[in-house]
Formats: sequence, C-alpha cells, structure tokens
Amino acid sequence: MAEEKMPEQFSVDPSVNEHEIKFHCENCQVYYGENHAIKDVEVDLLDKTVTAFIGPSGCGKSTFLRCLNRMNDTIDVARVEGTFQLDGEEIYDKQVDPVQLRAKVGMVFQKPNPFPKSIYDNVAYGPKIHGLTKSKAELDELVEKALRRGAIWDEVKDRLDAPGTGLSGGQQQRLCIARAVATEPEVLLMDEPCSALDPIATAQVEELIDELRENYSVVIVTHSMQQAARVSQKTAFFHLGNLVEYDDTGTIFTNPKDPRTESYITGRIG
Amino acid sequence: MAYEPHITSAYDRDLEEIQTTIMKMGGLVETAIMSAADSLESRDEELALHVREGDAVIDRLEEQVNEACARTIALRQPAAGDLRTILTVMKISTNLERIGDYAKNMAKRTSVLVQMNPIEDSAGSIRRMAKQVEIMLTDALDAYIQRDPELAEDVRQRDMDVDQMYNSLFRNFLTHMMEDPRNITACMHLHFIAKNIERMGDHVTSIAEQVIYLVSGEMPGDNRPKRDMTPFEKTETRL
Repeated sequence: MAEEKMPEQFSVDPSVNEHEIKFHCENCQVYYGENHAIKDVEVDLLDKTVTAFIGPSGCGKSTFLRCLNRMNDTIDVARVEGTFQLDGEEIYDKQVDPVQLRAKVGMVFQKPNPFPKSIYDNVAYGPKIHGLTKSKAELDELVEKALRRGAIWDEVKDRLDAPGTGLSGGQQQRLCIARAVATEPEVLLMDEPCSALDPIATAQVEELIDELRENYSVVIVTHSMQQAARVSQKTAFFHLGNLVEYDDTGTIFTNPKDPRTESYITGRIG
Repeated sequence: MAYEPHITSAYDRDLEEIQTTIMKMGGLVETAIMSAADSLESRDEELALHVREGDAVIDRLEEQVNEACARTIALRQPAAGDLRTILTVMKISTNLERIGDYAKNMAKRTSVLVQMNPIEDSAGSIRRMAKQVEIMLTDALDAYIQRDPELAEDVRQRDMDVDQMYNSLFRNFLTHMMEDPRNITACMHLHFIAKNIERMGDHVTSIAEQVIYLVSGEMPGDNRPKRDMTPFEKTETRL
C-alpha cells in the first residue's frame, strides 16, 4: 500500500503559477492630490491568466488597474510612482507612447461604450489609426477575427453596417471587447465589465473572458466576489489602498490567510 | 462564534440554527452511547428499547442539518471560514448519525444478551470503553464550539486508548469462547458491541479532524501512532 503513488493535491489549475510574468509591479504609489490612494503595492500579474481585483468601494482596485495602461495620465491631480514593467519594460518611461501602450494593454469599461458608428467601424477604428492593415480585405479579415474573439460574430455578421449603439447591453459589451482585442493587445484590463449586464449576458461575457485567457493576460476588477471566483485563477484583495492578499483564487475563497480578506469575502464588515 | 457578525444578520441566524441543531444532535448521541452501555451493564431491557427508539430523532436531526446546509449554500454562497463551517457541520452530522446507529445496534444486542448468562465483567469493561468514547465526543464537540484545534488533537490521540481497550476485550472474548463453546453466542454479540464502540471512537476522531480542518483549512496529517495489530494475528500463534 505504501508503495502506491499518492494522488496529487486538488487544485483548480495548478499550472497557472508556471505562467510567465506579464506585469511586474513594485513599490507602486498613487496620489490624488493629498490623498494616498495606492500604498506600496507589489504584484506580479501572469500571462495567460485571469487575475481578479476585489475589494470594497474606494479600496484602490480600479485606480491600480488604470495605472497598468496609464489611464491615470488623463487625471491632472493623479501622481503615479513606482515600477510598472510590462515584459520587463517600464511603461512610465518617457520614451513610451501612452497611445501605443494602450493598444498593447486594452481596456473594457463598466458601461458598454461603443462609438456612435457602425459595428464594423467600431472594431476597425483601432487597427486603422494604428495602421495595422494594408488593404480593405485585410481589415475585413481582422474585423471578423476580432468579432469572433468577442463571441459576437454570429449575432452581427449580417448587419455590420448597423450602428453599434443599437445592440443590446450584453452585445454592446462584447462588441467593446472585440474592439479592444482588434489591436492585438497582450493584456486586457476590464473594469467591472458585467455590472451593467443581466445574468445571461454576464455568463456570456464570463465565458468569453475564459476563452480570452488562452491568448491574453486578463485583469478584471469586479464587485461580484462570485464572479471573481468563477472567472479568475488568481485573486488580489485590495483594502484602503493596500494589496492585502494575492493568491490562487481557490485559496482566497476557501482558506484566505489575512483576516481582512476573510471578513470581506464572507460578507462581514471589513 | 469567534467571528464578527455578517452584514446580513439573517446569515448569522441561519448559521446559528445549524449550530444549535448539531449540538442538540451531539447531546442525544452522547446520551445514547451511555444509555446503551448502561442498559447492558444493568441488564435493563426497557432502557435498551428506549435507545433503539430514540435513534429516529437523531436521524431526523441529521436530515435537518443537511437541509439547512444545502439551503445556506444555495442562498448565501458561503466562502472561506463560512464554507468550511458548512462542510464541517455536514460531516460532523454524518459522523454523529453513524455513532447513533452503533448505539442503536448495541441496544439491539443488549436485548438479546439479557436473555443469556453474563460473561464475567465484560459489561463493565464495555461500559468503561463507552464512557471513554463519550468523553471524547463531548471534548470533540467542545473543540468544535470553541474552535480549539489543540483539544481536537488531544481527542484524536486518545482514540488509541479506545483501540487498546477493544484489543484487550477481543483477546478476552476469544479466551472465553475457546474455554466454553456455550459462550460463543454471547461473546459474538459482545464482540460486535465492542467493535461498535471502537468504530464510534473512529467517528469521534473524524469529528476532531474536521475541527482541525475548520480552524486551519488543512486536514491533519497521519501522525498518530500505529495501531495494535492484535485482531489480525492468527489464533494458533496466540495459544
């Protein structure tokens, strides 16, 4: 009996931790004027992995997410410090063009925000301005590929000229995801992508997020802990600007180390 | 409970209700163990019958615990410590229900045994063994309520004593049976009773292990001393 090989310990996806580091963040600080919004955050975000940021409102999770593609540059009073390395390169370096960076690090927002243009143009816009294609045929192909990745192709292929704003909320959000992947990003940031969607549309977007994991590093901010548990492999818990705990999602939801994490995910006052 | 309250107070009430039910179950099972052993020692057929009839209540409580746990999982999606509490409670209720069944079986055999001649002091030894298990159960349930892993570990270690008591009874019954074949029927029943109590000890150990899991998030390793192999030795070599 003793000779028998012991079964390996159960885990959701033990191979995740072997994935390469996509984003290396260290000693990160964000100030909004006097307000110290992000304090000493250190985290390594993995490639081909969905990482969920959870925490109560105002804990800094969205602020930190926005640091990853320099969205905070657009806020005058915001000051960002620390190391943010994408594939080993500092994204706050003077030589980095934030527009190019945002093509590489795409973003999807809480409220679906398609451009007031046709479905086709919504997706084609990014590749056009970044000059990713040489011909109309190539662009058509890219648009189809992006819409397929956004899991919305079958629903819109017959009405590509219809306005994107005419779609349902869930379709609009998937269109926005298709738009984000059209520029061939490496990282997708999602700031509460499902909070304006009904449960079915949410499930479709979650299924899509899981598919996107094959090609991208996905970082999602969510208020729904169940959603974090469902879609992510790694979870980071933020509280009052601190990154309290960062671990495998399975561990965070069954056996968190920090009492603050426990209080938050079990619905107690944190 | 050791935790601060949930924002949704109904959640706390649900957990409280589950806790109350499991403690009620624990109390009934403790009583059943000792009543079964007492009925054997005092040859009290009425008490034995009482134990047999009482098992239905324990079974019903187990169902209640399971229903309440299923409802809590469905409605509240418990996580972390809450999730471990629910998982632990479900296993503890199963263990308690099994212990209750063993007590019922003891009482059944007692009803048969009172018709026969007693075998020396075996009923006394069995009562002492049952008492040992009952104290362990009380401590295991205390460890659960107080979330005390040290007390749980202590209970776990004490299961060894129960095993030893069983082994010595096993030898004892073997000797009686070899001395006089007319003792075989009674000794077989007594042996099953001893075995039942030994199994109760295992279930109590399992409860103690659940408490350790509840507090630490990990099941304890196999660090208990190895068992006595007496029951597996061949009779010839022992003569």
